[in-house]
Amino acid sequence: MGIGAPVRRVEDRRFLEGKGQYLADLDIPGTVDLAFLRSPVAHARLKGVEIPEQYRGQVFLARDIDFVKPIVAVGKAPGFKYSEYPPLARDKLRFVGEMVAMCIARGRAAAEDIAQACVLDFEELPAVWDMEVALRDGAPLVHDDWTDNRFVTTEIKAGDLEAVKAAAAVRVEKSLRMGRHVGVSMETRGVLAHYDNRLGELVVWSSTQFPHVIRTVLAQSLGISESALRVVAPDVGGGFGPKNNFQPEELAVAALAMKIGRPVRWIEDRREHFIASPHAREHRYKLVAYADKAGRILGIEAEVMVDAGAYSVWPWTAAMEAGMAAGIMTGPYDIPVYHGRAITVCTNKAPLGPYRGVGRTGACFAIETLIDAVARAVGRDPQEVRIANMVQPSAMPYRSVTGKLYDSGDYPECARRAIAAIEPEKVRARQQRGEPDGRLIGFGVASYTEQSAHGTAEWVARGLPVVFGYEPALARFTPDGKLILFVGIQNHGQGLETTLAQVAHQELGLPVSDVIVRHGDSSTSPYGMGTFASRSMTMAGGAVSRACATLAEKMKRIGAHLLQAPPGEVRLADGKVWFGEQSVGFAEIAEAAYLHPERLPTGEEPALEANAVYEPGRSTGAFSYATHACTVAVDPGTGVVEVLDYVVCHDCGTIVNPMIVEAQVVGGVAQGLGTALYEEIPYDENGQPLASTFLDYRIPGPTEVPDVRVLHMETPSPHTRFGIKGMGEGGAIAPPAAVVNAINDALRPLGAEINVTPVTPERVLEAIAAAGAAR
Amino acid sequence: MKVPVSLTVNGERVAAEIEPRTHLGDFLRDHLRLTATHLGCEHGVCGACTVLVNGEPVRACITLAVSIDGAEVKTLEGLQGEALMETLKAAFHEKHGLQCGFCTPGMLISAWDLLKRRRDLDERAVRVAMSGNLCRCTGYQGIVRSIMAAAEKVGAAAPSTIKEPLR
Ligand code: FES
Ligand code: FES
Repeated sequence: MGIGAPVRRVEDRRFLEGKGQYLADLDIPGTVDLAFLRSPVAHARLKGVEIPEQYRGQVFLARDIDFVKPIVAVGKAPGFKYSEYPPLARDKLRFVGEMVAMCIARGRAAAEDIAQACVLDFEELPAVWDMEVALRDGAPLVHDDWTDNRFVTTEIKAGDLEAVKAAAAVRVEKSLRMGRHVGVSMETRGVLAHYDNRLGELVVWSSTQFPHVIRTVLAQSLGISESALRVVAPDVGGGFGPKNNFQPEELAVAALAMKIGRPVRWIEDRREHFIASPHAREHRYKLVAYADKAGRILGIEAEVMVDAGAYSVWPWTAAMEAGMAAGIMTGPYDIPVYHGRAITVCTNKAPLGPYRGVGRTGACFAIETLIDAVARAVGRDPQEVRIANMVQPSAMPYRSVTGKLYDSGDYPECARRAIAAIEPEKVRARQQRGEPDGRLIGFGVASYTEQSAHGTAEWVARGLPVVFGYEPALARFTPDGKLILFVGIQNHGQGLETTLAQVAHQELGLPVSDVIVRHGDSSTSPYGMGTFASRSMTMAGGAVSRACATLAEKMKRIGAHLLQAPPGEVRLADGKVWFGEQSVGFAEIAEAAYLHPERLPTGEEPALEANAVYEPGRSTGAFSYATHACTVAVDPGTGVVEVLDYVVCHDCGTIVNPMIVEAQVVGGVAQGLGTALYEEIPYDENGQPLASTFLDYRIPGPTEVPDVRVLHMETPSPHTRFGIKGMGEGGAIAPPAAVVNAINDALRPLGAEINVTPVTPERVLEAIAAAGAAR
Repeated sequence: MKVPVSLTVNGERVAAEIEPRTHLGDFLRDHLRLTATHLGCEHGVCGACTVLVNGEPVRACITLAVSIDGAEVKTLEGLQGEALMETLKAAFHEKHGLQCGFCTPGMLISAWDLLKRRRDLDERAVRVAMSGNLCRCTGYQGIVRSIMAAAEKVGAAAPSTIKEPLR
């Protein structure tokens, strides 16, 4: 039941019985529903809002909540431009979907009726609908007091690029684009706020990944003390990043509940999720690789440009995506020289936020397609070139050219195993034979290394308003001998109610079924940072381990005393303290600790609880890594791509629960396939989003995802408790790169090449047509 | 304007006066407080709201409650204790067929309907049959394994004779 066991999840029961309680399931008497009136245009001066007479008192504008502070997220990088994200627009509309008014009624439908009856008065401005448009001379400005539409540009210059240029036998250029998309948790976002008159506190329920941090920023924004604010994340139906920001909706709904003194709830509908929740990706890359004639890469020049939308999200800032992509560009490769530039552009689109993989999915797409291009340029097999360029295990710990400290692992071996599992000889033979249906077969590989569970040093370096350095745990026995763990993370599908119980089992030897994990409520758990950045298992696991280790010592002392045994000669197992064949149960020990202090050894404090705070030994992160390999079939007539086989070999250090780890990888791969092949919100030249339903925005369904084969390697991290490395995001990092490499392998006979995601059938056909025209 | 509607929901007769635009999902959730039925899109694609109406799976979000006046509705709550559903739930637990749990009620009902009709299922057939339900967490692997395990279990107990083509 301890670390390494495929324990079945303890949280399953309530979900299988339909008893999960998500935000929309809460039943607070007197709740009114709120619908936002959102901007129908991308860019305009807002003149006013006409509210029909009969709805006065049910519609609220920015001026009605003028006591709130706007959201401000300014990075520390020099030149980062200041902007304010007001919860409701005041004088300017900056993206389709921006909130203008709150309309309340009994029932969402009635609230929407009111929103529809209001008339917006505005003067439209030309839309900044694309990065290129934003950067043109004389482009309209999204923020009037800025000098141009850039949030910030940062540079990394490591090593002598001129020397590399002179020495290189080959120079390979590549331009890439990655579409804009959205997180699509199946449960949308939502907020319910009400006033608890007895305690004199505002209670804000939110479908969020980090309730404690939300309490902090929300209190600041509302101008109240954190002691008068409780933030609760109930069951959360998927997060993936978009629920890991301070949402303007959280601020607006909380402010309104404060103002009118009634419970107010807003449940995001799917259209709002598509157009107005924090968006994902939208990268453009210009890359140059310099290599010797064997394909050994000597240096790389990279420019990453990201469309961060209209506002900077808190706490990540608008620059996170471009900064992370540029910062991890060299990935698992030993590349000595790197010059990178990260440009974060401001446009009239929904703000960009974190999404599973953050930056790294783009960086992996860039470097991995570049490796294949280098291999082709020198006439070698891409997999040989890939492995030859990798950081060798003997070089661990390895400091990358961008200053990241890779802690451990065997990258080449991981790649070899993934490639072997896909049986390239068979794929090549099939390719040679040709398919009876005329489809083209391709084989592609991509590797990455993923910084996880990074602590103080990393977040300080990024200059964010909050430094996510640690996690706490409070472990408390009940007087009848069960254990309750109070933690600051937020479990929304990762199985942490089970895996943290496994950690407790490891330290205390009690059955997992005797452990309850409580999280998500700022009033019950110690202050913690939440669940994101592949950190919870490492961080909260470390904290639970520490707290339980302290309790284990105390259990042994009390148990030994009750057994009249020497304290050094007892052990813990099966929920008991043992001395040889004699034992005393945890219930009896807890009873003594709480209800019969007279039974305790002299000097022993009553009660049975312990607090711990955990920071990893080195806060630069534990690096998980993986190689993904896949086979695809491309139909040159229709452009449709099918993923035939998909293998992941990965190493996330010590595995706590292999069943859960495998499923996290597979779930990530499915999302990555969405990025690779299906998901995109294009914008037209008026700044209108062209996808706002599941009909025009496709996420992978059961028939789009193959049966993914997952191979595990386990190299414990030297920096973390048990050697755990984070792994929640990894699955979503490599698929766009692996799939595009496979598609390009398939298209080679036609001379066509794809450099954009998602690889829609139209784009395949365009690439084939372009290749035909060029011949 | 409100109009009367009466339904049998999970074996109980319910009668109410509702706005004609009220969809079955909202009716179940808001009027009857049956919150196992989830709403993931409200435009008929994701399948999270799947319930049984007169024994057939339907999307509650695009079914107006008044349009099925007199019908018999079953939600996940109403299938509590039912043998095939309990087998499915046990399989979803054993094979890790859920993560955040939001899509799960709809998945269970669609899978229940599938196994009522067919048990000779290979992986591909399960994927095709379940393609009306979306999940963002699992990548479907755990769900497919769960359904196949349940099919095997009930198939062994009472081999299905009904061999309908996949709907
Ligand atoms: S909520 Fe009904 S299909 Fe999505
Ligand atoms: S388990 Fe989260 S959507 Fe399916």
